Amino acid sequence: MAAGTRGGQHRECALGRSPLKPPPFDYAAPTTLDEAIGLLAEHAGAEARVLAGGQSLIPMMNFRLAKPGYLVDLRRVAGLAGIRREGDTLVIGAMTRMAEVERSPEVAVAAPLVTEAIGLVAHVPVRNSGTVGGSLAHADPAAELPAVALALDAKLVAAGPGGTRTIPAGEFFTGPYGTALAPEEILTEVRLPVWPGGHAFTEFSRIHANFAVVAVAALVDADGDRIRRASVALAGVGPTPVRAHSAERALLGTSGDAETIRRAAQLAAADLSPAGDLHASAETRLTLAQVYLRRGLELAVSRARNER
Amino acid sequence: MTAISVTVNGRPHTAQVEPRRLLVDFLREDLGLVGTHIGCEHGVCGTCTVLLDGRSIRSCITLAVQADGAEISTVEGLADGAELHPLQDEFSEKQGLQCGYCTPGMLMRASEILAGNPDPSPAEVREAIASNLCRCTGYQFIVEAVLGAAERMRAAKETAS
Amino acid sequence: MTTVDSTTGDRIAADRAASAPPVRPHSAERRWVGQSIRRVEDPKFLRGRGGYIADRITPGTLHAAVLRSPHPHARITGFDVAAAQAAPGVHAVITGAQAAQLCDPMPDFGPDPTRHTWRCLAAEKVRYVGEGVAVVVADSRYLAEDALELIEVGYEPLPAVVDPERALDAGVPLVHEALESNCAYERSFDFGDVDRDFAEADLVIRDRLRWHRSGGQPLETVGAIADYDPGTGGFVIETNTLSFTSYLFMVAAALKVPVNRLDIRPAPAGGSFGSKLFANKPAVIAAMCARATGRKVAYIEDRVDNISNCDHHGSDRLYDVELAVMRDGTMRGIKIDTIDDYGAYIQFGVGHHGNALAQVTGPYTIGSVRYRVRAALTNKNQQGAYRGFGSEVNNWMLEQMVDKAARELDLDPAAIRRKNFIRQFPYYIPTGNVYDSGDYDKVLDKALELADYEHWRAEQKRLREQGRYIGIGLISAQERSVFSATEFWFWFDEPAAPVTSTPESVSLKVDTTGGITAILYSCAFWGNSPETMVAQFVAEEFDCDPYDVAVVYHGSGDGLPATGPGGSRTTVMLAGAVEGAAGKIKAKARRAAAHLLEIDEDDLEWADGGFGVRGDPERRKTLGEIAIMLHLFKHSFPADMTSGLDESQVYDHPWTTMPSADRKDLGVFYPFMGHACHIPVVEVDIETGAVTFLHYAAVHDCGTLVNPRSLAGHIVGGTAQGIGTALYEEFVYDTDGQLLSSSYLDYLIPTAIEVPELAIGHVETPSPYTPHGVKGGGEGGRMMAPAAINAAVNDALAPLGVRLTELPMTPERILTALRASRKKG
Repeated sequence: MAAGTRGGQHRECALGRSPLKPPPFDYAAPTTLDEAIGLLAEHAGAEARVLAGGQSLIPMMNFRLAKPGYLVDLRRVAGLAGIRREGDTLVIGAMTRMAEVERSPEVAVAAPLVTEAIGLVAHVPVRNSGTVGGSLAHADPAAELPAVALALDAKLVAAGPGGTRTIPAGEFFTGPYGTALAPEEILTEVRLPVWPGGHAFTEFSRIHANFAVVAVAALVDADGDRIRRASVALAGVGPTPVRAHSAERALLGTSGDAETIRRAAQLAAADLSPAGDLHASAETRLTLAQVYLRRGLELAVSRARNER
Repeated sequence: MTAISVTVNGRPHTAQVEPRRLLVDFLREDLGLVGTHIGCEHGVCGTCTVLLDGRSIRSCITLAVQADGAEISTVEGLADGAELHPLQDEFSEKQGLQCGYCTPGMLMRASEILAGNPDPSPAEVREAIASNLCRCTGYQFIVEAVLGAAERMRAAKETAS
Repeated sequence: MTTVDSTTGDRIAADRAASAPPVRPHSAERRWVGQSIRRVEDPKFLRGRGGYIADRITPGTLHAAVLRSPHPHARITGFDVAAAQAAPGVHAVITGAQAAQLCDPMPDFGPDPTRHTWRCLAAEKVRYVGEGVAVVVADSRYLAEDALELIEVGYEPLPAVVDPERALDAGVPLVHEALESNCAYERSFDFGDVDRDFAEADLVIRDRLRWHRSGGQPLETVGAIADYDPGTGGFVIETNTLSFTSYLFMVAAALKVPVNRLDIRPAPAGGSFGSKLFANKPAVIAAMCARATGRKVAYIEDRVDNISNCDHHGSDRLYDVELAVMRDGTMRGIKIDTIDDYGAYIQFGVGHHGNALAQVTGPYTIGSVRYRVRAALTNKNQQGAYRGFGSEVNNWMLEQMVDKAARELDLDPAAIRRKNFIRQFPYYIPTGNVYDSGDYDKVLDKALELADYEHWRAEQKRLREQGRYIGIGLISAQERSVFSATEFWFWFDEPAAPVTSTPESVSLKVDTTGGITAILYSCAFWGNSPETMVAQFVAEEFDCDPYDVAVVYHGSGDGLPATGPGGSRTTVMLAGAVEGAAGKIKAKARRAAAHLLEIDEDDLEWADGGFGVRGDPERRKTLGEIAIMLHLFKHSFPADMTSGLDESQVYDHPWTTMPSADRKDLGVFYPFMGHACHIPVVEVDIETGAVTFLHYAAVHDCGTLVNPRSLAGHIVGGTAQGIGTALYEEFVYDTDGQLLSSSYLDYLIPTAIEVPELAIGHVETPSPYTPHGVKGGGEGGRMMAPAAINAAVNDALAPLGVRLTELPMTPERILTALRASRKKG
């Protein structure tokens, strides 16, 4: 599910009232970024929010869990969609539809982790409308793209009344559905360091393409037989996506053999303290995290080897 | 109220809508096109699927204002007068429907699948229609119908060319 | 029956033979019955012109939205509706207390309706999360929901009772104070000589099993559009549910109108699976609002309404079971002790256990049964109907026990079943119900072949050596069809209403051109194919083209009695009704033809769409030629012949017998007994608890098939729902009574990836007692799959000493069981 509004968020409220039609709000579809930022600032008192693809926001509004008084639709703003390569960086505009990223040969070459992850975000109809920026800004703790951004040490570019700034992924996700973006800031693009192979995105979901119970983004880079770089991030195991630094450290300089991977997964799991819900208890989440860390790393290492 | 212009099944419409009006309600109530159905209203079941500029979307989690300037295709536009679209005909032939409620959304999704991949394998069809829930058929005859339609559409194309 | 002496036994046998319907010959040659024709219903649905209830809302209709309780159990202390009433577009706000003045309680077939009173909106207290407490009527659904947010409700939360076993303890909070207990019903039945069978057994197999509630969850919710005419004081209500029309006086009573001022008109339903069976709450709410506002009002449940407040959750049972067996695998007797969590109300009483008792011993010659049932009330939405109506749970429980016995006796699962198969029909099981016909060996043989059973056993062995856990489930179980009314009251020695009617009516009209129209009287269209079924039956009778038969649905107001779909009854009941009406038409047509041809009626025979003179087929009159004469030329006929050619048949259950006074014999109440064998092959990922299908074979025997493709579709669809029940679907209430699975993000419905392709086989053992030998089969897939899948998972995990006894078998439950066995071992 695109930034799947996981049960917990709306269980509490959904049954209190009788939702499933959104509450009233005012709306604009500006054509420039400055206009959009201006509207966010002007209507801050009404709790103005950005509308990207709406695949996460609108269901929440149907449940009346989100009640923005003003929506700024970015669909007409020029320059926010597109995929380009800038040297060692893959730049994806925030309004780029996920389906476009999924189909992009450029992304498949530069950052196949992204391609693999995006194929797991809900279903095609959701990816047709959902955007990369929307998913990142929604910051669902179980979502795929935030984990990818974290694993790649992405930089997220935000534009606001005070200008543009770049936020490292490690600082971007601040809590469940919370980011470092200020209310009048708009995410304009995500800048992903190129990592052409040695990738694996794997997740456990109960039903095909449903939101992930746990997800693992794994990246390794080998020099000959030795792993010289590793980056591992998980989703679904905490209030934000997390990097598994202990796993990364355990892999460095090794050949990425089965035993090392097993130990790396164990170390990483030991750092986690996920919450439980009706789909998986905390203990099961830990089990699944460890299993998917191991499987993800095995796949990433095998891909790194085959690419040599 | 916001002004929108939408083309639906080839016919242009202009309307004034509340920004919060869901596309599915606009189609059903404002345009009288009741073929698109509401299943869950939170974007999971796919019953409300229509095509927007040729791509499938979930109209229960799309605002009508987001369709401004777009071309929408719904089930009502599939048949050519009295002649059913091959997908519709195959759904009947293979009994790919029972209650018919998921059928319009399933047909629109299937038309997108075949537009992108005119010769899909059974596994590809099954994976692609996993986006749309059906509570009656268990999917098997839907997969057969889509494969049957694909074959007919390929044959028709060959005859035409 | 083994306890009785031979004279009593002979008398019972004689009584039974006398009460059975006549054995009917079946024609081997059928033209339309048995053909997988395209469905007559399809064209409108394919074009998006299905005419579902929400499609029928006309401009100017007002919209209702229901405010639901956030508390599982609370007293309602007050309302402040001023802001809501003043909100834009609002026409009315009605609270539960006001509704209790405007309407009487909902129709209730439970054990004690005056004490577990069920209303369309909660009056003084709420009893589950999601129960409606107020309704707003506004110009649009959007405005109605805006107004809901402005309603202030005072709640005094009460402790919730959630666990059905705890609910039965002394001193726990009461769901209904007036009932003085949370046990709505308790009784133990003994059939046969249980004590002797257990005393003589070599071994007693015991187990405790838990089946959690899931539900039909069709993609279309329940909805109603109501119109009130103050001039007549009557209602016209369009809705996607119309069942038990003879009981609509109870709906009229709820609305405080005479029953002949209530006309309910059916709209096709976008699925039901039981959840639209007599689902009258939206209709009552819409009607109440229409009367209050003086306008037409539509109330269409939204998805959260339907999940939390539909009144149709499925069975929710705890079983303690003992099975008495001999060392050679013979099963002697079974003791079943079940607690069923009915939720906050109990509208159908324990009818679900009647369904279980209809086939409680499965396809086996088990001689005795002790059945103890306790109906627990808790703070949850109430149970209703879900495909199988409680018999699918019994199938699962029984097959689990058979597999456990097989394991303990070291017998092959197929062998232990064959050892106990019934092979003589009609066969009366210990409860008194009868199985009309069957060939269980044939079904099992075919299933084993279709499943490539030997291949998969070899694969299982090979893959286990690689550390993979493959399991093969093999179950054989019954799928009863066509319920009698007795199963709703044989629970009581002195029932208040020992009803015996379950009619279904069809009218056939032959018009002036010879075209035929069939009229149905209940909301028969749920996605089953009543129009196609009736068209095929009519075509068979009259040699016409089924696509030339018009099928229409009639409202209740001036309609004939009809029960509607449920208990897989539609095929048999429509067959009987069509046969009856067709017979009357042919009788009149024969007489008319005889008159027109100036010949004796006995010299005429029906052939090729008309009556012809025997031996001189050129002298004939087609149905059309007869019809136009009857319609327009009265003077051409004897004075006592009426104009026109239309006849109706009110067809009732063809084989119902009364229970004995001591309830040791419940009589015949579900006689047309289908049977099936499912053999799924699964792989269990023991690291994650995920279950995937490698193969799935299903063979069903539902007697003569009317439309084989259509039945195959129901088998796959039912199996898909069974997969949901076995692995994914559960209405989860936490220990505080909060409903955690309140949307499709958490109530998980299988997609095309979770449901495998099925290899389907048909066996047809006709019923000797029904037209064409048909039996019902719509529920079968779901009645088999949960048992089969549980068997497969257990077979996969047997080497690890793990056996799952709780459904759904979620990854959490599987991993927990694996963890526990590792600690033990």
